[in-house]
Amino acid sequence: MIDIQDVHKSYGSLEVLKGVNLTVEKGEVICLIGASGSGKSTLLLCINALESIQSGKIYVDDIEVHAKSTNPNKLRQKLGIVFQQFNAFPHLTARENVGLAPRLVHSKSRAESDELACEQLSYVGLADKLNSYPAQLSGGQQQRLAIARALAMHPDYLLLDEVTSALDPELVGEVLDTLRKLSDSGMTMIAVTHEMSFAREVGDRVAFFHNGVIHEIGPARDLIDNPQEIRTKEFLGKIK
Amino acid sequence: MTIDPNFSLKDLIFMAQGAAITFALTIISGAIGTALGFLIGWARTSSSILVVALLGAFIDVIRSVPLIIQFILFNSFMAIADYPLDPFTSGIITLSVYISGYVAEVVKAGIESVPRITRLAARGLGLTYLQDFFYVVVPIGVRTVFPSWTGLMLGVMKDTSLIAVLGATPPELLRASQIVITRVQEPLLILIGAGCFYFFMCAVITKINMRVERSWNITGSTFK
Amino acid sequence: MFEYTFQWRVVWQHLPDLLEASYLTIEITLLSVVVGLVIAIFLASIQNSRFSILRGISITWIAFARNTPALLQIYLAYFGLGALGIHLSSYAAVLAAIAFNNAGYLTEILRGGITSIPRNQNLAGLGLGLTATQTYIYILLPQVLKAVFLPITNQVVWAMLGTSLGMIIGLQELTGMTTFLQSQTFRPFEFYFVTACMYVVIAKLMTFSARLVARKMFHG
Repeated sequence: MIDIQDVHKSYGSLEVLKGVNLTVEKGEVICLIGASGSGKSTLLLCINALESIQSGKIYVDDIEVHAKSTNPNKLRQKLGIVFQQFNAFPHLTARENVGLAPRLVHSKSRAESDELACEQLSYVGLADKLNSYPAQLSGGQQQRLAIARALAMHPDYLLLDEVTSALDPELVGEVLDTLRKLSDSGMTMIAVTHEMSFAREVGDRVAFFHNGVIHEIGPARDLIDNPQEIRTKEFLGKIK
Repeated sequence: MTIDPNFSLKDLIFMAQGAAITFALTIISGAIGTALGFLIGWARTSSSILVVALLGAFIDVIRSVPLIIQFILFNSFMAIADYPLDPFTSGIITLSVYISGYVAEVVKAGIESVPRITRLAARGLGLTYLQDFFYVVVPIGVRTVFPSWTGLMLGVMKDTSLIAVLGATPPELLRASQIVITRVQEPLLILIGAGCFYFFMCAVITKINMRVERSWNITGSTFK
Repeated sequence: MFEYTFQWRVVWQHLPDLLEASYLTIEITLLSVVVGLVIAIFLASIQNSRFSILRGISITWIAFARNTPALLQIYLAYFGLGALGIHLSSYAAVLAAIAFNNAGYLTEILRGGITSIPRNQNLAGLGLGLTATQTYIYILLPQVLKAVFLPITNQVVWAMLGTSLGMIIGLQELTGMTTFLQSQTFRPFEFYFVTACMYVVIAKLMTFSARLVARKMFHG
């Protein structure tokens, strides 16, 4: 379980998160929606300690993320994260990309990590691209590569930061299919997304971010079809 | 303009030896300077404003004072400190420190060329700072700034021609050429000959580096 | 360790000579960059010429300027041309050689600046109905100037460092004067140290004034 309690986060003098509260249960898929700059991506970075917080607490499986005694590198093994772009390491092939962290962090042998890499790459549908370099892959393939890489660490939770926003429209589907497959297999996911149909179909709950806080939260279908708050209605109106 | 019969094979060998010394000086100073410059450049990406500023000032000074003066100044300082060095050692130290200032800036640019998100992705996988640095940042950064670094190494080769001002013997190529000229009195031909030597050595280095770059480009190692 | 006593006063006494020599340094530096720039503009424009001999001149010039030491180029101007009957003073030789050297680097800088402008800028200008010349003057040139300003400033500092080589052929720019003075007073360290400081000051002055000019021309 991920427990986020009254988190405040500022970049310099600009406060981006103004008291966020959220609980994510194991197996859930939560989609975060909202306008750009409303703090959604920042929240993801705070969850796995890639960003610090000014006040509040975040717990991942009862480990306090920002406690001084917590080793961030160890913590991040539980949390996979995939970004919008520039994920892939350009100097490594797909299989080397995916095999790197198991080798360095989990101290697996080269053979073991390679096997693991091939397994994960097959899972996301890139079995025929094992020896390709990221520059030789399409945007959608690069994103799936990044997902496979995160999965190779066997995380308990997957954080997804607008992973389809930078893709050409025809490539979005293949990535969403992979995510759907993952959620069906029981992966806990927190996904920042603009894809409303994905949020509606695959998400369990949807949280609408506005002005640094969660303005409205509810079951996916209910919130998207029937938003209660004005701001939520406005936002969804613009998207549709 | 007749070819002076005094220009013999011995002179050519003398100049060739000079070229070999030039090449050796280049490799040694280039290696030390690159290693030192790497550390300085890396340190310049730290979050400590003091470190960044101090090293920045150091680099600034190194790049504003002519190399000849740096050679002489360091040499005479060591003499004053009662620890006189032979011209080659003195020259190599000066040249290495000089080039490290330039390499540091190139290294810093290379490190900063790696997108923040790529580094976050590496840390997100659980890699430590050092693992991220050596397995992700360095390989990417090196590929980005390799052409600039090559240019700096070619610069080192040309700068070795100033070591003569310290009286280093046996002489590197340019000094050797000068010595031959005083005997043979054919400055134009000999200088052009020396120029061809330099040209050739630069071409060799450029060729090798182009091959290295090509092996990287096949992998498409830049971001799309 | 330090049995040597530093004597700075003797340097102070000769400060006027050093200042005069630094004027010479600055003069040669700026002249060599201006001349080099003029040549570079010419070389850059003939790089795409239909005539292979013109392209050849450009390529050879740049290759020779960038792959041989500046000192060699100075020797060629001073001793090499002398063999052909052209006797340049050490001033002229240094100026010619550094200008030659500058031209090689400046051509690459100009080319880099021109190619850095997105092609669409040119098309946008033509699309608005401007002639090719108007597009060049009002749209491309200002952007090229902005792009090359910093590299050219660096080249000026580079040229300043190059003028110090004049010392080897007896020119009394700053380094040459320093060498002369310290040989008279047997205080090499003090003199060269002060000269090093003067070079830093000159370099800083140059980059600072360049930054002022840039701010005026490019609005920051």
